[in-house]
Amino acid sequence: MLKGFGNFLVKELKELIRDPKILLGMIIVPLIMFPMLGVIMSYSMQSAQEQAAKAGLLVVNNDGGNWSETIIAYLNLTAKVSVVNNTDLDNEVALQLLSEYNATYFIEIPSGFSANMTDYDNGNETIKATVKATLNFYGVFSGSGMFESLGSSTIDDSIYGFNRHVAPDAVDVAKSAIIKGEIKKGVDPAILSSLMFLQSIGMPITIMILLTYSMQIAATSVAMEKEEKTLETLLTLPMDRLAILMGKLSGSIFVAGIGALAYMIGFNYYMGSFTTGIPAGTALDLVSLGLVPSLFGYLLLGISLFVALLSALALAVIISAFAEDVRSAQSLIGYIYPLIFIPSFALMFLDINVLPLALKILIYAIPYSHPIITSRAVIIGDYWTATLGIIYVTAFTIVVMYAASRLFATEKILTAKLKFKGLRRRGKKPVEGFQ
Amino acid sequence: MDIAIELIDLTKDFGTLRALNRLNLKVSFREIFGIIGPNGAGKTTALRVVSTLLLPTSGAVKVFSLDVVRDAAEVRKVITYLPEEAGAYRNLSGWEYLEFMAKFSTKGKDEVREIVKEAAEITGLGERLKDRTKAYSKGMKRRLLVARALMNKPKLAILDEPTSGLDVLHAYHVRDVIKRYVQEHDVTVLLSSHNMLEVEHLCDRVALLNKGQIVAEGKPQELKEKFGSANLEEVFAKVVGLA
Repeated sequence: MLKGFGNFLVKELKELIRDPKILLGMIIVPLIMFPMLGVIMSYSMQSAQEQAAKAGLLVVNNDGGNWSETIIAYLNLTAKVSVVNNTDLDNEVALQLLSEYNATYFIEIPSGFSANMTDYDNGNETIKATVKATLNFYGVFSGSGMFESLGSSTIDDSIYGFNRHVAPDAVDVAKSAIIKGEIKKGVDPAILSSLMFLQSIGMPITIMILLTYSMQIAATSVAMEKEEKTLETLLTLPMDRLAILMGKLSGSIFVAGIGALAYMIGFNYYMGSFTTGIPAGTALDLVSLGLVPSLFGYLLLGISLFVALLSALALAVIISAFAEDVRSAQSLIGYIYPLIFIPSFALMFLDINVLPLALKILIYAIPYSHPIITSRAVIIGDYWTATLGIIYVTAFTIVVMYAASRLFATEKILTAKLKFKGLRRRGKKPVEGFQ
Repeated sequence: MDIAIELIDLTKDFGTLRALNRLNLKVSFREIFGIIGPNGAGKTTALRVVSTLLLPTSGAVKVFSLDVVRDAAEVRKVITYLPEEAGAYRNLSGWEYLEFMAKFSTKGKDEVREIVKEAAEITGLGERLKDRTKAYSKGMKRRLLVARALMNKPKLAILDEPTSGLDVLHAYHVRDVIKRYVQEHDVTVLLSSHNMLEVEHLCDRVALLNKGQIVAEGKPQELKEKFGSANLEEVFAKVVGLA
C-alpha cells in the first residue's frame, strides 16, 4: 500500500470539489448543457414529424387511370392526401402548389402510370423486368437540417409497402429536388441533404474550435501578464492603453486564424474521406446545383466570423481580468463555452425555423450562433439573414469592446478580483492595512 | 527644495478595506526615498497610486507637479515602475526584452541601441542576455528588470522591493546600480522595502508605514537618534509599541 496515499487523496478531492470553478465548469455546466441539447433535439424531431403529418401529402394526378386511384387510396391509409388533377408542372407551378398546400414535397403520378402498371401486372417475367411504373417525387431542398430528408424517406416507405401488396418492384420513384425555386431532375433531396449534412457540420465544428481556442489564447495571454506581473509594468509605460487591448486581440486573432486554417485543411481532408464513400450513382455536383456560396456569400461569412471572433476575444479579455492567474482564467472562460457549444451542436442537426419561438429567440440572441446561421444562409443565397446577423453581432461586439476598453483604461484591470473580496465584506466598517 | 513627489491626504480604499489613510509626504528631487513597513502596511498600494496604476479614493498625488489622475499620461512619460516580484516575458531573450521596453521611451534606432547597450552593462549578464528569460534565475531576472527601470534615465524610478528575495551578491549589485544612477543621471527614486537595515544604508530619507498610516518620517540617522535606537528595526518596534 502506498504510504500517505489515502490522506493525500482526501486533500486533493477537498481542494478540487471546493473549487467553485471546477464544480461549475466540469460538473454543473455539462449536467445542464447536454440535457438541454437533448430536449432541443427531441423537440425538433417531434415537431418535424408533426409538421409533416399536419401538412399531409400532396399528389398531382396527371394519369387519371385505375391504378392512380388505387395508389392514392393506399397512400390515404397513412396520410391525409390532397389531390390536384391534370397539372403541367414547371418551376412556377411547383412552387405555387407547395405554397398553397403548405408542403415541402409532393408526388406526381405521371401520364401513362396506369398503363404501365397494367402491362406490368399482365406481363410475363421478361416484361416485368423491363416495364416499371414510375412516380415522380419533388422535394424542396433548403439545407436546413437533418430532418429535411423526412419527406423523401416517408415516400420510400409508402411505395415499398405498396409494392409488397401489389407486386415487388412494380412502382419506382424518380426524385427531383427543388433548389432555389428550380426543379433539378434526378437529384434526390435526401441524398443531397446527407451530402450537405456531412459538409455542413464542418462549419459549426470549425467555428466552435476557432472560438474556444482563440478565447483560451486571449484569456491566457492576459492572465499570463497578470501572473508574471508584466501587466503592471505595461500599464505604467507611456503607451495608449487601448493599444494593449488591441495588441492582445490582434495577436490572438492571428494565432487562432492560423490554427483555424490548419484545422480546416485537416477537416476538409477528413470530410473528403466520407464523400468519396458515397456511391458513384448518387454523386452530386454541388457547384452546378448552386449549393456553394458565391463570392459575396464568402465575404459575408468572413465578416460574420470576424465580428463573432472579435466579440469572443474581447469577452475573454474581460473575463480573464477577473482571474489572478492562467489556471483561473481558463476555468472562468469555461463558463461561456455553453454559449458556443449549444448553438453549434443544435444548429449542426436542426433547422432553426422549426424550433419553438422561445428557443428560436435564444439561439438568435447568442452571438456565436450567427456565423453558423450565416454559413447555411449564404449557401442558399439568403443574404438578408446573413446581413442582419452581422449587424446584430457587430452591435454586440461594439458593446463588449467598449467594456473591455473601459476595463483597460481604469484600475479595474488590476483590482477586479480585489473588489469581489470587498463585496463579500460589504456591511462591515473599513479595516486598515493593505500591502 | 525641488519637489519630485507630493502626497496630499492620500487615502485609498478597496471596498471596505482602507489601505492608505490620509498620507502626507514630500520627496525631493534626486532623493532616494524609502517607504518601509511590514507586510500589509500599504507600501505597494502607495507606490501603485504614485505610478498611476491605482486611483486615489481621496486626496491627491503630484509627480513633478503633475496630477497622477488628471495628467496620468504625462506622468507615465517621466516615471518607470518596477513591481515586486515582476517577471519578464518568458519567451523573449533578455536583450529582446530590453529592446521592447526601450522602444516605448524613444523612437530612433540608434537611441534604442544606445539605451539597450547601457542597460546590458547595468545587468552584468553578458552573453546570458541572448538566452530566453525563462532560463534566468530570480537574481538574473531582477537585475534585468532593474536595468529596464533605470535604462532610459527616468526622472522618477518607483521600485517596489527592488532586492526582495535576492542573495547578498545580487542585492549588492542592485543597490549599487540604484545609488550610481541617482548620482550620475539626476534620477529620483521612491522605493519600498520591508528590509529596514538595507533601506537604512540606501535611502536618504524614509517613511515608516504601518496599517496605511505614516508613523514616522526622516533621515535614518535622525530617526535612530530621536528614538534612541541602534537601527531602523528598533525604531519601528518602538513607534508601533512592540518594544
